[in-house]
Amino acid sequence: MVEIDKTFKEKLIDFTFYCRERQFILGPQDTREAFEIASRGYGLDRKVFQYSLKAIFCRRKEHFDRFDEMFDRFWSRYYEENLEERKKVIKQLRKESETDTLIFMGAKFNKPRKEKEEQEARQTRGANESLRLRFTDFSKVDVVDRERLEELAEELFHQMSMRFKRRLESANRGTIDVRKTIRHSLSTGGLMLDLAHKKKKKEKRKVVFLLDVSGSMDTYSYYLLRYVMVLRKYFKTLEFFTFSTHLTHVTPMLRAHNEQEVLRQVGRNVQSWSSGTKIGECLVEFLNTYGNKFLSQKHIVVILSDGLETGNVTQLKEAVGTIRRKCKTLIWLNPLKGMKDYQPIQKGIVNVMPHLDAFESAHNLDSLLKLEKLLMNV
Amino acid sequence: MKKDIDALVKKFYEHGYILDDALATSVFLLKNLGKPLLLEGDPGVGKTSLAGTLAASLNTQMIRLQCYEGLDVGTTIYEWNYQKQLLHIKLFEQEKDKKTLGEEIFGMEYLLERPLLRAIKSEVPVVLLIDEIDRADEEFEAYLLELLSDFQISIPELGTIRAKTKPLVILTSNRTRELSDALRRRCLYHWIDFPTKTREIDIIARKLPEIDEVLAAQVVTFIHNLRKSSLHKPPGIAETLDWAKTLLVLNAGNITDELVQNTIGCVLKHKDDVDFVRNRTVEEFLMPVS
Repeated sequence: MVEIDKTFKEKLIDFTFYCRERQFILGPQDTREAFEIASRGYGLDRKVFQYSLKAIFCRRKEHFDRFDEMFDRFWSRYYEENLEERKKVIKQLRKESETDTLIFMGAKFNKPRKEKEEQEARQTRGANESLRLRFTDFSKVDVVDRERLEELAEELFHQMSMRFKRRLESANRGTIDVRKTIRHSLSTGGLMLDLAHKKKKKEKRKVVFLLDVSGSMDTYSYYLLRYVMVLRKYFKTLEFFTFSTHLTHVTPMLRAHNEQEVLRQVGRNVQSWSSGTKIGECLVEFLNTYGNKFLSQKHIVVILSDGLETGNVTQLKEAVGTIRRKCKTLIWLNPLKGMKDYQPIQKGIVNVMPHLDAFESAHNLDSLLKLEKLLMNV
Repeated sequence: MKKDIDALVKKFYEHGYILDDALATSVFLLKNLGKPLLLEGDPGVGKTSLAGTLAASLNTQMIRLQCYEGLDVGTTIYEWNYQKQLLHIKLFEQEKDKKTLGEEIFGMEYLLERPLLRAIKSEVPVVLLIDEIDRADEEFEAYLLELLSDFQISIPELGTIRAKTKPLVILTSNRTRELSDALRRRCLYHWIDFPTKTREIDIIARKLPEIDEVLAAQVVTFIHNLRKSSLHKPPGIAETLDWAKTLLVLNAGNITDELVQNTIGCVLKHKDDVDFVRNRTVEEFLMPVS
């Protein structure tokens, strides 16, 4: 056993808190184990200590991928960098964010940011950092918060996928299977000790997502895309399309195991990213090409769009009407609905409203998480 | 400390398994902290064989529990031997009273031990491999919690059976479903990724010493380029070894288009993936990996 000095103990506890802030689920037991390995002298070799903590603190691949960078950042933060330099970096980052260049899907989007918007984002109600970010509009997140929001989104989406799974698992076991019960009783000399049940076959819900990736949806598309990727883990039969001026079938690209690889592929293959919006035309194309295959009374269709149509509104109205007739439920998610004083008075939205089963906002993490209930109850 | 880990790496190497430092540290902690190790990774990266190698390196027995949907306590932990119990009742119902009979038939001799109980009751530490835990139901996962945290099993009729010696537990998962946080909390965690090019060449050289270096490098480059393509199922290390073995049997000196057409079935198991490769030339897959 090696005696651990007080400073090291404090640093180790600090590191545990640092990990917790970054959505690592660590309890006192984990801290105790970290101390145990330190007291065994594993802390004497930096790499051994790093790998040991990695094995103890990580719970999933997402943690595993981030840990090394976090470890380096934390220890260099305390040992190598001085605080003034860090302040300078943050100041620089903030300055850059004023004329923020968002590099996403291989393309650069220049988004001049207003002081006022960031101020608004920072003042969003909430008792702590996580809560504040959860309620912050995606379009108003500054460059400093973006990383935290990414981590928070990853964790919350993961928890959501767990909830989806758990609730369905607790389905009833069905009526008693007499034939099977009698057969089982043979091993107990005819005594019916265990009752066999007819397990009802669970019907998996089928979902079709249509995501608007036009210029007006730029700031939201990324998070909505990630949201859909999480839902894919639950909905085995999930079909995913993106549209703006053209419709793209994205489902085959979701095959890659790595999330970043999926994003890269989508970026490479979706040609009309960040262009104009012709919702009606794209929905007609969807109906003609994929309608027979992906629309039935078992399907839930979710359209994620701001509804700012630049094409033919009548065509849009008819297409949405047809989709509604052919599917079980039609949900429209509009990020603009989360804005204060928003009224659905745009021509496109006014025309499609009568056909929708639900019209919800999708502008921040909280609104996306609320959709869980909607999808569960369909 | 580093010395111990290096010794572990060396021992594994002798048994044909090449460990990297991070994985070696996890295995070292598994042995020293006595906490189960949860291994996740794509199929074919060497999760299961790690357990086998660990057992071989420790010169102990490996008890394997292959998980599948519908797995229950009866097939994994214990089951009462009903026939034997009934026979006992028939034989002694005239001689003994009901209470004594009841007590007798719920003894250890009427218990059929399944893998988990066998691992707990073993006199020497064994390696317990719970393979593909993601395929088992969540109910079973919940039952495992007691075993993984306290190394004990509760049998209502007999009470709690504690481990005589702590088994070294390795759980593997392919992530076909998300495991519960409760289970993850009780385990050390390691994600086994596909190996780097150099490491994979080392693995081939270790497993197939007679292979030509150039051919081994070509195989690995080809496989790495395949992994970068969007395939249904990217090939694992197992597939790399299978293919290298095949090429060795065929006395191939270089990878050619014809060889790929004839042997790609060793590497890819989906029709779409096979078509994807057959529609391209070998040169495309032998480009240096960036």
